Amino acid sequence: MAASATRRAPVTRGATRRRQPGKLAWFLAAGVIISAIFVVPLAWEVFRSLQPESAVSTAPSASTFTHLTFANYRTLLAGQDDIIRNVVNSLIVAVVTALLTSLVAVLAGYGFALFRFRFSGVAFGLVLIAFMIPFQAVLTPLFLELHFLHLLNSLAGLALFYTTFNLPIGVYVMRNSFMQVPRELVDAARVDGASVGGTLVSVLRPLVLPGIATTALYAFLFSWTEFLGALSFLTNDSLFTLPVALSNVETGTYGAVNYGLLLAGAVIAMIPCIVVYVGLQRYYVRGLVSGALKG
Amino acid sequence: MTVTQSATRPVAQVAARKRPTARTRRDARTGLALVSPALLFVGVFALFPLGFGVYISLTNWPLVGPYHFIGLSNYDSLLHNSEFLQSIVFTLKYTGIVTIPIFVVGYALAVFVRANRPGTTVFRTLIFVPYIVGLVTESYMAVVELQPTSGTVNWALSKLGLVSDTTAWLVHTGQAMTAICILVVWFYSGFAMMLLMAGMQNIPSDIYESARTDGASWWTVERRLTIPLLRRWIALSLIISVVGSFLAFNQFFIMTDGGPGTSTVTVVMAIYSTAFAQFDVGLASAMSVVLVIVVGLITFIQFRFLQRDGD
Repeated sequence: MAASATRRAPVTRGATRRRQPGKLAWFLAAGVIISAIFVVPLAWEVFRSLQPESAVSTAPSASTFTHLTFANYRTLLAGQDDIIRNVVNSLIVAVVTALLTSLVAVLAGYGFALFRFRFSGVAFGLVLIAFMIPFQAVLTPLFLELHFLHLLNSLAGLALFYTTFNLPIGVYVMRNSFMQVPRELVDAARVDGASVGGTLVSVLRPLVLPGIATTALYAFLFSWTEFLGALSFLTNDSLFTLPVALSNVETGTYGAVNYGLLLAGAVIAMIPCIVVYVGLQRYYVRGLVSGALKG
Repeated sequence: MTVTQSATRPVAQVAARKRPTARTRRDARTGLALVSPALLFVGVFALFPLGFGVYISLTNWPLVGPYHFIGLSNYDSLLHNSEFLQSIVFTLKYTGIVTIPIFVVGYALAVFVRANRPGTTVFRTLIFVPYIVGLVTESYMAVVELQPTSGTVNWALSKLGLVSDTTAWLVHTGQAMTAICILVVWFYSGFAMMLLMAGMQNIPSDIYESARTDGASWWTVERRLTIPLLRRWIALSLIISVVGSFLAFNQFFIMTDGGPGTSTVTVVMAIYSTAFAQFDVGLASAMSVVLVIVVGLITFIQFRFLQRDGD
């Protein structure tokens, strides 16, 4: 009796949860207001970036609200700053980082989860240690090292740097993904004569795809928004990623700063983040939780 | 086919218990080969620079030209380097100011969205958007909107009669700090929310049953049940936020560039300018070593503090 009562408890709780329409309306109203605090400022910047420069450099006023134009975007993209090149640089670095991080993390996760070898615990610990090294603290030695390796002022060098600091979370997520695969499935594939690589590609790939999505998403967003490393390791304007190029726009030409251009650039930097996040958000939250559980 | 199966299974079973067979040896080699690219990356671009940084910090390494060992001189000069000491004090102050608001706002948001009510998924998504967009982009936007006479912030606040529309937010230390701290809390509390919410959803719901039947108030339940059970998640959320604040760079570099004067120079900014503006790589590396130690200490102390607290 007692046992059946406790087992029923959660069900009862769900059923008796108050569902008065009045309460729900208040909750939704509060939710809309709270969400607005976080989203409206960004939406407002999109709106402001669509106003002519003259309207951005004067206080907002109702008379300018109806005049919307892509002028800031046209000037920015066609202008002397050559922002399109910086957007392309950012995309290249972010995509290469995402692919490289996923590839290396998949291999390492596969190895750590499904193979027994000596020092595997130590090796895993070493990968996780990198998680605790703030990259800000190795900036100067890394600068010299990249210089020796001829990877300074190079998008490839930047992507290698980003990959390294995305690997700990990636390897952790991928190891967990592979550990959730039923052992019998792996053994059966091996018994059937599938090679290590064959098992990975044909049997395991569909099962660990969500983990790969998480890893790639993290790496992409990290490198797309990263600033300090790009600022330190790139000195050639034509190699700047978008966030670094915008600091040139912020400084302005001959002391005259065009805030319309700066807003347009910031909105361009924002769009991929929102698109990628809204499209793949369940993978992002999954990764956040599994990464946190390790702590 | 059948031959392979019957032949392999006993081998695998024996391998689990007895001496290494060809199969386990091969597996060990494969395992090591699979993890080696990750080890290579971490070794070359994270662990090596860490050790290399310690080595450089013992030299007078300039960005170009020869160097020699000078022992602990860099560390000694750090003790008298007022700009560095000031940056540590400033960064600690900044960390102290933003940590509690981030946690409180993040916790309140987590309480708000933790149950599976209609709309919560959408609210969670929207509240998290500022974190996804990133502080760099938002700092640029804030620079535009904090301008005197043309910025939206002054326009809105002067309409409400709170400030004059000529307030130059980024020119005075106090106002710049106010603006940056509000921006950071807004940016970061969605992340704290996600973390704490995940922790709250991890607590089995039947734990709350007896409290509910006892008629305990919402706040009592939160204080006596939820917060103690969330201890590890709270620790994690505080550690991530405190370490992140201590490593602050982007928002200050973009919004104040350390000014006015050097009043808003953070530790990472001090390292950056010592290395790349003053070209004193040895001194910058000594600063970095101090930073690693301080960050390690913060993490360690918070872990110990929060673990002892509940045990």
